[in-house]
Amino acid sequence: MRLLLVEDHVPLADELMAGLNRQGYAVDWLADGRDAVYQGRSEPYDLIILDLGLPGLPGLEVLTQWRAAGLATPVLILTARDSWAERIEGLKAGADDYLSKPFHPEELHLRVQALLRRSHGQANQPTLQAAGLHLDEGRQCVMRDGEEIQLTAAEFRLLRYFMLHPEQILSKSHLAEHLYDGETERDSNVLEVHVNHLRRKLGRSVIETRRGQGYRFGASPA
Amino acid sequence: MKSIQRRLSLGLISVMVIVGLVLAQTSLWLFEMGLQRYLESGLRNDSENLLVALVRGPMGVQLDEQRLSPAYQRPFSGHYFRIDFADTHWRSRSLWDQELPQLPQAGLKGNLQLGPEGQQLLVLRSDYKRFGQSISISVAQDYTPVRESFRLMRQIGLVLGLAALLLILLLQRVTVRRALRPLETARNQIAQLQQGQRSQLDTQVPVELEPLVAQINHLLAHTEDSLKRSRNALGNLGHALKTPLAVLLSVASSEQLKDHPQLSKLLREQLEQVQQRLNRELNRARLAGETLPGALFDCDGELPGLLATLNMIHVEHLDLSYRVPPGLQLPWDREDLLELLGNLLDNACKWADAEIVLSVGETPEGFRLVVEDDGPGIPESQRDQVFSRGTRLDEQTDGHGLGLGIVRDIVDVWGGVLLLQESELGGLKVVIDLPRRH
Repeated sequence: MRLLLVEDHVPLADELMAGLNRQGYAVDWLADGRDAVYQGRSEPYDLIILDLGLPGLPGLEVLTQWRAAGLATPVLILTARDSWAERIEGLKAGADDYLSKPFHPEELHLRVQALLRRSHGQANQPTLQAAGLHLDEGRQCVMRDGEEIQLTAAEFRLLRYFMLHPEQILSKSHLAEHLYDGETERDSNVLEVHVNHLRRKLGRSVIETRRGQGYRFGASPA
Repeated sequence: MKSIQRRLSLGLISVMVIVGLVLAQTSLWLFEMGLQRYLESGLRNDSENLLVALVRGPMGVQLDEQRLSPAYQRPFSGHYFRIDFADTHWRSRSLWDQELPQLPQAGLKGNLQLGPEGQQLLVLRSDYKRFGQSISISVAQDYTPVRESFRLMRQIGLVLGLAALLLILLLQRVTVRRALRPLETARNQIAQLQQGQRSQLDTQVPVELEPLVAQINHLLAHTEDSLKRSRNALGNLGHALKTPLAVLLSVASSEQLKDHPQLSKLLREQLEQVQQRLNRELNRARLAGETLPGALFDCDGELPGLLATLNMIHVEHLDLSYRVPPGLQLPWDREDLLELLGNLLDNACKWADAEIVLSVGETPEGFRLVVEDDGPGIPESQRDQVFSRGTRLDEQTDGHGLGLGIVRDIVDVWGGVLLLQESELGGLKVVIDLPRRH
């Protein structure tokens, strides 16, 4: 999952980046509203966390421009301005959720998780469920038939992405775009290694290779 | 407060009465003076005729009867004379048995009573020298008829004057009312302002009212502007304080402090207290309260957005609905009302199982807002406790109440009443009665 964090307060951004990275999200960080308008549209983010008090361009204006340009990425607004009048304005501008400062980091993680599931049509349950697997995002492990299987951080990221996109063909480059932030070197070989690790832990049939197209997760054995 | 209309009427009446009386009295007096002077010349004529009629006869000085006016012969005819010599005096026959007193010196005198009919006489005494002796001739004329017509004239004048006064008063009332119509309009507009049906007064007013209306408009704009500015400043302050607070909260629960659980707990508790206090005070400072709203709160326009926002925040599939008479408008500040309803509904959403209903309606005393949910509710014994004086709702750590502090503040500022009841849906029913603005 690749997120865009737009927040101009550097210490808060550092904290949020660290927390979100621990949760297995690849995060790009921007501090200026004008940059955010451009980058939010040009990069394939899965979710955007947007602060409203931004230099350059106000957050609401950024959001309005994104929505006007047809950007459908879920946006979570982060703001200290938490009156109901302002919340309604945020919603009208096209926000999907609203978190007022200050907040507990876990609150943000839960909201991000819920919003990602919601945007992929998944119910908000304690665990993420797909193809008979139950993924516990808090503890970063997966359960199958009551048996708990431990995952590395990289495997967890990959599996979560697959489980949010079941039965879809995902190319290597698509996966790389959504699993790594803009500054990480993208090496498709590393991806293959992680896919193989997942297959070893969860069974070969879980991830199917479509030659020339990419991977497909959770396809019912035909 | 005295009405301008009444003050103008009183002033006008007193001025008219005083001026009218002085004018009438003066003109009557001048008229009477003129009449007397006219009668005096007639009397002087008569007196000279009498002097001419005095002739030297066989028995000394005698009156030539032929030359006398017949009016001197007829009793109480209204024309009399008396001629005084050194030792004797003659009277005209018309005096009959009455005595015409001699004036102490030559000249004119009015208001002399005479005779059984109470005639008012005007007497002129003139002194002459004739035939070597001094002769004093007094002639008198009855001017009662003149006085009678005078009185009649005065009465007619009085009636006419009164009628004129009434007419003037009536016209003045009409004029004043017409002149004061802009004031009345301004008063109505101020009432509408209070009701929130308009945000500015009309500037199409007479010159005299212009500064007043301009000043009121200026004040209104200023109030709205300063409210906006202070809200903005509070927003900035909140932003400036809450962002570092978010950093601290994040640090307090971070990995680095995992080895010091007590320190982490202490930090978090203290930060939460700061956060709660900050939220509460900032929210309270944002309230417009009694300030006149710039515009009415339009239920049909605002509620769908609010409910959609609540639905977004509470992703569980809650059934939020509202029952509001179409076109209902509430005369309070939009942001305050959104804050009130938002917090009430947010609280209900936290506790409801599936259904939340908001109803807004008009009552004879004002407006009634009701929020009901189908959650667990609050047992009756604890409801009083929740609202007892001194207990702050947001200091309650569990149950209904979190976030309701601001609701209480708003209702207090508006002079409303907040009641907790049991809902037919099974949960809590919060009833807020807000009095109409005056």
